[in-house]
Amino acid sequence: MELFKKTLNPVAALAIIAVLDIFLFLTIGAWTVGGGETMMTGIIARFFMGDTLNRIPFWNIAFPPDPYYWKIYISLGMVFGAFVGAVLSKEFCWRMPHRLTEWVMITFGGLLMGIGIRLAFVCNVSTFFGLTPEMNLGGYLAVSGILAGTWVGTWIYKKSLEG
Amino acid sequence: MTPIAECLAAFIFGTTVGLLVQRSRYCNVAALRDAMLFKTYRNTKAMLVAMMIMTVGFTAFITVGAGKPMHFDVGLNTFIGLFLFGLGMVLAGACTVSTWVRAGEGNIGAVWALLFTFIGMFLFSLVWSFDYWPPAPQTMSGSANLAGLQFGFANAATLQSKTGIPAIVFGAVQTLVLYGIYRAILKRERAEAPAPQAEARESAACDAWADQPAEPVVPGARASAIVDHPV
Repeated sequence: MELFKKTLNPVAALAIIAVLDIFLFLTIGAWTVGGGETMMTGIIARFFMGDTLNRIPFWNIAFPPDPYYWKIYISLGMVFGAFVGAVLSKEFCWRMPHRLTEWVMITFGGLLMGIGIRLAFVCNVSTFFGLTPEMNLGGYLAVSGILAGTWVGTWIYKKSLEG
Repeated sequence: MTPIAECLAAFIFGTTVGLLVQRSRYCNVAALRDAMLFKTYRNTKAMLVAMMIMTVGFTAFITVGAGKPMHFDVGLNTFIGLFLFGLGMVLAGACTVSTWVRAGEGNIGAVWALLFTFIGMFLFSLVWSFDYWPPAPQTMSGSANLAGLQFGFANAATLQSKTGIPAIVFGAVQTLVLYGIYRAILKRERAEAPAPQAEARESAACDAWADQPAEPVVPGARASAIVDHPV
């Protein structure tokens, strides 16, 4: 199949995703990832901590762990779809960063993404493909924030490459 | 819809997104970072096109009262949170979408980034409180609460109800602004690099997803490959 032989034009891919996202917006809500990740965090934490987790107000009031939270399944679908795409196009292979500095940067980057999502209540997907197209004030604040953060991150990374 | 039907719809949507993103090698980090660092716009253009389509679609349905827009107060935390997120995604070399997609391709670094995203979320949950900032129900009243650093809630629907102008009109204005940015990028691409160089840069960026990036053809492409490497 042609789809699995060559790289798809990203403009066409995102245009299709945008149309599908409009249908999702009409039925259950716009595409988002951070909410599902938060719920997964709560479910994993409950697995390890049991009822002790209820002592933390966030998991008791704001995000009580619920396996039927639909946003979880967007993320699970993405990993499944990517796996199918990678296998059918013969691009699946186990790979990992080789240098310690890469592991350190991924670790800090992951932590900052997690903290940032929970502080803002939104992720980058909600920013660009949810709030801003809905013309939500939060979309413009979030776009400003992510552009500033990316600029600083890019500057740091550029310096680390040069140094 | 029942919760099961919602989960099923979300899974089908997610699967389609995962497949399309994997096959197109779209990346949100690259959409912003490559535009700033390398002045290449392969992913930026895709993001802008998607935003234009969604803006028209969302505001058209909001005009007639359809759709399910997100509804929560925003404030300074929105800016700061996404600032931290933007910084983090460049360091990790992946965002929320690309971590899941690359995990599906067998990238252990992406799984590691996801693990620490979860840990970051859990750490933040320990400092969250119902009563005080960072944003909590007590500070979110639906309108501006400057003491709580909250600006309230506003979107295309509130614009329509307050002005009497259909939301689609505001959506059309936003779409024109996005289109203006898209046109400016196209103009810059045409004016700047000769076609062969631009193609070489793009292919080098794509090769960065592979374990062994190809040797660069133009200055800057090697840096692009390294920047893409972490996840």
